[in-house]
Amino acid sequence: MTLDAKIPAGPMAEKWDRHKFDMKLVNPANKRKFTIIVVGTGLAGASAAASLGELGYNVLSFCIQDSPRRAHSIAAQGGINAAKNYQNDGDSIYRLFYDTVKGGDYRSREANVHRLAQVSVNIIDQCVAQGVPFAREYGGLLDNRSFGGAQVSRTFYARGQTGQQLLLGAYQSLMRQVHEKSVKMFARREMLDLVLVDGKARGIIVRNLVTGEIEKYAADAVCLATGGYGTVYYLSTNAVNSNVTAAWRAHKRGALFANPCFTQIHPTCIPVSGDHQSKLTLMSESLRNDGRVWVPKKQGDTRSPEQIPEEERDYYLERKYPSFGNLVPRDVASRNAKQACDDGRGVGESGLAVYLDFKDAIKRIGQDVIKEKYGNLFQMYEKITDENPYEKPMRIYPAIHYTMGGLWVDYNLMSTVPGLHVLGEANFSDHGANRLGASALMQGLADGYFVIPYTIGHYLASTPLPKVTTDHDAFKEAADNVQQRINALLAVKGGRGIREIHRELGRIMWDDVGMARTEESLTRALSRIPKLREEFWHDVSVPGSPDNLNQSLEYAGRVADYLEFAELLALDALERRESCGGHFREESQTPEGEALRDDEHYSYVAAWEFQGVGTRPTLHKEALVFDEVHPTQRSYK
Amino acid sequence: MSSRIRVFATSVGTKLLIGITGLALFLFLITHIAGNALILLGPTAFNHYSHALTSNPLIPVIEIGLGLIFLVHIYKAVTMYLGNQQARPVAYQVKKGQGGPSRKSFSSTTMIFSGLWLVLFVVLHVKGFKYGPYYASEEEGVRDIYRVVFDIFRSPLQVGFYIVSMLVVGSHLWHGASSTFQSLGLDHPRWTPRILALGKVLATVIAGGFIVIIVYVHLFAGQVGQ
Amino acid sequence: MRLNLKIWRQAGPNAAGRLVDYVADSVSTDMSFLEMLDVVNEDLTKKGEESIAFDSDCREGICGTCSLVINGIPHGPDRGTTVCQLHMRRFKDGETVTIEPWRARAFPVLKDLIVDRSAFDRIIAAGGYVSVNCGGAQDGNAIPISKDIADAAMDSAQCIGCGACVAACKNASAHLFMSAKISQLALLPQGQVERQRRVLSMIEQADAEGFGSCSNEGECEAVCPKEIPISNIALMTREYVKAVLAAK
Repeated sequence: MTLDAKIPAGPMAEKWDRHKFDMKLVNPANKRKFTIIVVGTGLAGASAAASLGELGYNVLSFCIQDSPRRAHSIAAQGGINAAKNYQNDGDSIYRLFYDTVKGGDYRSREANVHRLAQVSVNIIDQCVAQGVPFAREYGGLLDNRSFGGAQVSRTFYARGQTGQQLLLGAYQSLMRQVHEKSVKMFARREMLDLVLVDGKARGIIVRNLVTGEIEKYAADAVCLATGGYGTVYYLSTNAVNSNVTAAWRAHKRGALFANPCFTQIHPTCIPVSGDHQSKLTLMSESLRNDGRVWVPKKQGDTRSPEQIPEEERDYYLERKYPSFGNLVPRDVASRNAKQACDDGRGVGESGLAVYLDFKDAIKRIGQDVIKEKYGNLFQMYEKITDENPYEKPMRIYPAIHYTMGGLWVDYNLMSTVPGLHVLGEANFSDHGANRLGASALMQGLADGYFVIPYTIGHYLASTPLPKVTTDHDAFKEAADNVQQRINALLAVKGGRGIREIHRELGRIMWDDVGMARTEESLTRALSRIPKLREEFWHDVSVPGSPDNLNQSLEYAGRVADYLEFAELLALDALERRESCGGHFREESQTPEGEALRDDEHYSYVAAWEFQGVGTRPTLHKEALVFDEVHPTQRSYK
Repeated sequence: MSSRIRVFATSVGTKLLIGITGLALFLFLITHIAGNALILLGPTAFNHYSHALTSNPLIPVIEIGLGLIFLVHIYKAVTMYLGNQQARPVAYQVKKGQGGPSRKSFSSTTMIFSGLWLVLFVVLHVKGFKYGPYYASEEEGVRDIYRVVFDIFRSPLQVGFYIVSMLVVGSHLWHGASSTFQSLGLDHPRWTPRILALGKVLATVIAGGFIVIIVYVHLFAGQVGQ
Repeated sequence: MRLNLKIWRQAGPNAAGRLVDYVADSVSTDMSFLEMLDVVNEDLTKKGEESIAFDSDCREGICGTCSLVINGIPHGPDRGTTVCQLHMRRFKDGETVTIEPWRARAFPVLKDLIVDRSAFDRIIAAGGYVSVNCGGAQDGNAIPISKDIADAAMDSAQCIGCGACVAACKNASAHLFMSAKISQLALLPQGQVERQRRVLSMIEQADAEGFGSCSNEGECEAVCPKEIPISNIALMTREYVKAVLAAK
């Protein structure tokens, strides 16, 4: 298989416009004859379903939640980037493009990123028109804040709830189309298989999570917008129901999975308090502007922080990175916290935390100013930990936050399965090995509002698509396949809890495929994961029946898929013997301990082809060509 | 959306109508107690006031209007109550007041019962006074309503019934008086807390005022000729 | 810490339900309420018993999925908090805790503690949006909006659609929910074009779904995890009056 990214010819700045003209169109009267399935209702899915509905397509929209408004995009706090240059500080489409490619550590596809930067300006206009209450200045114009990885203020925000407001905007547009009957909404449905007819994606199999019924839906094209796979680590900042199942089942049907080892770890999360913990809560990165990160110099120091004198504290970020200090990028801050804890100098009951201390900032600018800047975050911290961060330093620890890898797509967002399009976090394309802050919302909405409405039309107009109904044998085969897997899960009747196994998988992934990966740890993971998978299939307990609402069954299905997917993630991490962005291989670092890329050997997208569970997948490489932004080494000393 | 919506049939329209009629009844009560206070000035003043009212040719129209307002208020409140009961067919096993900024009170939770009590009360009240015994006063054509009042409140049973009913009025107004403003959409960050407080003050003053009059009449009934 | 739980179990929409006693042993005060239930469920699962079904997703108080009535209060005893953000240190050792689902005709129970809140989606579908197709929007800065207005709109827009307002209201009224959306869009210039149509359609839909009316008690405001005030309901009423007066 050769991977053709279908990047349009021409100068970078003209590629998208030219391509828009070159693509075939579906005439307005014919649009309603085409049915498009959209799975997932986050920013990407909801905006895609709404826009396709507006165009006149017949859209079927699916989500696992009880309402499309609950997709996890809702939890994004910080903001959304756009190259508006409203602040007159030198921003431009090219600069956003440049920052994103560089921030991704030169592992993303230039043409996609440029298009993303280009349409970013339209996203803001569209959201304002929808009534999204973005923050404003006194003069009534839109306010901006600055974010990591950029030297301009281009981030638009709605308090600390930008994701919520953007998602509700998209959700409302979606509900309008539901009202207009151009979109049919199917909530509480979980996609469990992709149906291929003549090699093209022509439908999906879902389980109705209320009745347990296995339902079949046929269409002319399928869009997956099912998010990332962060919960393979069990604990993450993702929602507890976020999962890889839809993407994984599509992968098993032939869609290549690209760069699964590119995972992003956020340095400032509230640490784990015990085995019972179900998820991690993010604290905005902005806290590092005023907080100082430290651990005791002595190993195993159990004194409470105020008893540790200044000279016995190690402000390790300030010590190691004098010019950036506490403001080093996410990956560097995370790795250093892990090193301090591995070294036995972690704090708190678990020893898996470092201090983020505001004592000096409070002394310098006063508690009132700190309260004004971070009051809500301090409050949230206190709610969760029952500790007052004005008096006692915060304890923080890194956590999995976002996954840059995903199903491989070409410039048209189509996977290697014709007709299967992948949007948002579920695809791999725009963030390379590391995503910049406030860019996830941008990408989700860019894909849904401004890319897929064009590219899917081209696919539909240029592809022969004979009528297919759910009576076709392929649907029966896929539904039987789904049913068998459900029966198999219920038939194990073992003695281990699903959560217990998921937690164990998370521990393997975190320890061996986490922030710092080695040949040895990855090899170990690759032997431990299949063992755990075997254990799961021999000893998991999935109570209840298949024919009604059964959360254990839902959960077991997702964990079962993770037990397969985890192996791919570890393998990809093993095969990429370089460090880049969120992927840190200890063998590949500069003498100062920084990530060292190997552009000569690894400047490619690793796209994996499924060959069977437990069988080594085939690696396909899409070479990355950098015409505009030339790769350089990052340094934060 | 139907083009000609039935304005007062929706849940918001129902509130509006209950609010408007409630406010009208509240204003009526204020004039009522002001008039009643004249009883403290003796028979002549009170009977003249009463005569001036009843001899006004507009009164029948006003009475019919008032009656309609009563009926609408009652009808809407009862149908709303029944509708609301249907909105939660299965009750909670444990239910608590939510506290905080909630305006819930004994008064607010018993509006339907206080209201129904007052329906009964109004019927008996009108029957006892408007359609009660006719005593001629010393002046030609002027009814001695003063005497009717004293007659009725000589009975401890009547006094008891009236005092209880006035407490019920107070309770109904405790929530209802300020609630009408919210029902009509009249809300303001500075004024709403004052309206809430004023509603409670007026509820107390009105109920207390009527009770004072009743007790006064009862205590001095012995001195007025049978 | 040890808790005695009384949890509503109901096999399906049409099945009869009842409170069932459970004991949660070794509860840590650091646990969130839902993590405490996770532990109870894991024990049940290991024993091969069906776990207690309850809804949750983001577990950071923003998605609006979690929906438990704890000792008679939706989302439990803490103000401005969803149940996923409620922590066990709020409870005492040996305490009895009753857990029930939201109760309303418009929110039928699907199983145990899970209810169907799709009525809220239909209310939004009836008009809770600005009808602009993607692609034709003018520049985001073309219409200045005063900071006060934008902030006020944001206050209303914070609604997470959890339905606690309905659960707390003695009338199971959805007035706070819909008024939050109506207020947000009535305040912003983008919402002006459709404001009359919007308020009428949304109210009509809420009534058709079987939600009750409003008695101005403000129980909804008291439980709202985003502390959205009933002044939104007053604003909705004004919108309604204006719409009715303008209707032909």
